[in-house]
Amino acid sequence: MSIPAIRFTDERLPNGLRLVIAEDHLAPVVAVNIWYAVGSKHEVPGKTGFAHLFEHVMFQGSAHVGKAEHIALVQAAGGTMNGTTWLDRTNYYETLPSHELELALWLEADRMGTLLDALSQENLDNQREVVKNEKRWSYDNRPYGTWSEKLQAHLFPPEHPYHHPTIGSMEDLDAASLDDVKAFFRTWYAPNNAVIAIVGDVEPADARRWVRRYFGGIPTNADVPRLGDLSLPPSLGAERREIVPDRVPLPRIYFGFRAPQFGDERLDALEVAAQILAGGKGSRLHRRLVREEQIAQDVALFSLGFVGGASMCAGWATVRPAVSIERVEQAFTEELERMSIEPATDDELVRARALIETDELGALQRVEERADRLAMYSTLFDDPDLINRMLERYLSVTAERMRDVAGSVFRQENRVVLTYVPLIPQADEAALDEKAALADEEVAA
Amino acid sequence: MSDGVVATRPKPGVPRPYQFPAFERTRLANGLTLITVQLDGRPLVSANMVLLNGAADEPATEAGATVLAARAMSEGTERFDAIALVEAAERLGASLHAEASWDAMTAGVEVTASRLEPALELLAEMVGRPTFPPREVERLRDERLNDILQARADPRRRADEAFVDAIYTDDSPYHRPAAGTAETVAILSRDHARRSWERGMDPAALTLVVGGDLRGVDVAAIAQGLFGGWEAARGAAQPRPVVARSAQDGRLVRLVHRPGSVQSEIRIGHPGLPRRIPDFHALSVMGAILGGLFNSRLNRNLREDKGYTYGAGAGFDLRRGPGPFAARAAVNTEVTVPAIAEMLRELERMRDEPVTDDELAAARDFLVGVFPLRFETPGPVVGAIAGLVVHDLPDDELARYRPQIEAVTIEDVHRVAREHLHVDRAAVVLVGDADAVAGDLEGAGFGRLEVVHDEVEPAV
Repeated sequence: MSIPAIRFTDERLPNGLRLVIAEDHLAPVVAVNIWYAVGSKHEVPGKTGFAHLFEHVMFQGSAHVGKAEHIALVQAAGGTMNGTTWLDRTNYYETLPSHELELALWLEADRMGTLLDALSQENLDNQREVVKNEKRWSYDNRPYGTWSEKLQAHLFPPEHPYHHPTIGSMEDLDAASLDDVKAFFRTWYAPNNAVIAIVGDVEPADARRWVRRYFGGIPTNADVPRLGDLSLPPSLGAERREIVPDRVPLPRIYFGFRAPQFGDERLDALEVAAQILAGGKGSRLHRRLVREEQIAQDVALFSLGFVGGASMCAGWATVRPAVSIERVEQAFTEELERMSIEPATDDELVRARALIETDELGALQRVEERADRLAMYSTLFDDPDLINRMLERYLSVTAERMRDVAGSVFRQENRVVLTYVPLIPQADEAALDEKAALADEEVAA
Repeated sequence: MSDGVVATRPKPGVPRPYQFPAFERTRLANGLTLITVQLDGRPLVSANMVLLNGAADEPATEAGATVLAARAMSEGTERFDAIALVEAAERLGASLHAEASWDAMTAGVEVTASRLEPALELLAEMVGRPTFPPREVERLRDERLNDILQARADPRRRADEAFVDAIYTDDSPYHRPAAGTAETVAILSRDHARRSWERGMDPAALTLVVGGDLRGVDVAAIAQGLFGGWEAARGAAQPRPVVARSAQDGRLVRLVHRPGSVQSEIRIGHPGLPRRIPDFHALSVMGAILGGLFNSRLNRNLREDKGYTYGAGAGFDLRRGPGPFAARAAVNTEVTVPAIAEMLRELERMRDEPVTDDELAAARDFLVGVFPLRFETPGPVVGAIAGLVVHDLPDDELARYRPQIEAVTIEDVHRVAREHLHVDRAAVVLVGDADAVAGDLEGAGFGRLEVVHDEVEPAV
């Protein structure tokens, strides 16, 4: 089965804004997705969490748009929208009925050009509190909630900008000032540091005209900084382990590995390997740990692709009650290592490829996803046509290539192991002390 | 300073006409209903079998049997053991799945149209001839028991559980989690799972919905071959009406103590309404204004104005029976009491003041405008039709949705708020740090306060 190639056009405005357009008139829907080439990797110590806080500020109004009015206008137009911040980039997107495309473009241009006109201490303070609550809700107030922050901190050295989490720290968030916001905007939010993808029921001539009308007057920033060399040794060098007592009923072991960068074909092979290892009930880890030996409640393994030196391959296994943690850790790592000793069988390859194909078809059938990927491949690789080549890349991964990448990635010296163990709460400790004291008294009497 | 941008807000273009796709019903020889939806240009087909047997239909002592049965259907059939079944599906690139909710069991598959027939064969095998192997059922049962431990430790899930426990009487099915409690799940066996599955296995009550680009695929002939010979199981039964009653006649405040919590997970509400109510559209508009839109009253107040939360919302869970109405927010511990006060204030305000023209327009325009976006791909189309089947709604329900939303007035919204929001007997349930908030909660006078201390059972 092949997926028809996505036809698109790719051009730049004189001010550097890259515009990618792909038509699809099947549904009366259009997706707009704008990627700015700034993420948490552009943050410096003392200012972590800033790119994401800034993303929130982008919804607080601009010269001709009120606080939260962007969202109100998109929803009133029958659209959905959001923004996300990650290590390598920030994106803003809206999907709307196709006759509302011009509004979306006008809104994105207004904030790209004039965010600072509406910036106020009050709005910054408000969104700071919102972001701090996002941090609490997503990480701090959840069982096992610190896992990703800890894996990042172990896998990447302190001087590397992947060391800290995108959400940032409470201290740094509290310290963010209006001047910081202004400087960040002027440095990064320029048309020549952005890609806008428009996908769906669009007339390209109209889209071009509107993009030029609304974005064309926004000046270039000739001084967008280039990050220094973020390259890293492919291996961590020595295993790192941490035991994390937490309010959890079941122990859970998290694993992290440095992996080849996003864009490297070895990461493609690692992703297919992860599908075979943990991609559902037919996978090696699920079959052995969850079904046959019944030592794990659940298992996972996946990669997060980054372009700044190395990607992260992460996984976990939740330990069932009355099962030794060591046994689960050993079984998990044995299966990872087995990938390089007993490479994927023909049947495993057939199944993995069939699932990847269906997944890809499912993802690309939505205009929102297509727009995000076109913007992604343009921003990270200067190659929007990757959207038409990635599936073939995955399907051409062989058992030998998986064996090789598994052999180099899943080594003990490239491994972080976090073991979350149940914490006995203080109340119980007090109760135990009390019981012990009573027992002593009884003995004495 | 307006640097290089255009001040004038653009006007919308002319909307392209959109109708919810037409669908065709056929009845197979044994009474099984087949609904097909032709969706040009959508090669990834979605097929869904609906069994009118949900968690609400199981005896209370066997709570969790229906969810367990759904999970266990794919763990062994007469022709395949679990691994063989999953591998057969994966070779087709098909995802084969089954799940149960309060209202129904559904089993489905997503696969390219060219492989639809073999995928439906597997679906027929899974739904029609499951064997519920004891070893697998016991493993799934134990997984649910472990999941119950995890749910206790997760403040969001613990809040949801404590909330329904507070608002429904003990004999209401909705009082408990759909997947059952530690007590009821512990005794479940493959016989319970099998009995639950049998309840739904009456071809005259089964519906298969298939949507996608089906040109060149004779779905009716395939369905007749695979499902047309099915007979009713001995244990097949009609779903019974769901009786779910309110446990509260005044305001209860229940705080589940979670030491060191940096947020309080708050739920405020009461038993709500079933899906089949004449006020469905007015209720949808009211819900969007109160707590559905980003600029809803609750979110604008608690997030955009006060910064108490990452998000606040509210809504009715409309099931075959009256599912809960809840307003929800997770707020930093320090602002727990003021946040609850604001949430209650917004609920009262919704009852006391009619909404403005702008609020009505925002909700109406969103619900009407987003309608085509909801159905971009076959999955949601098939899901929406399955929903009509579950709730016994007419075939033109979706075609009438937008005009009926357009027709909702300010008076309608006010009326449904007054009739269906019961702030005086709403339970306020939260999971948070009692050491930090119990004192202030007591003093706030929201209602009679109960503090719950979960027993901690460290896993051995």
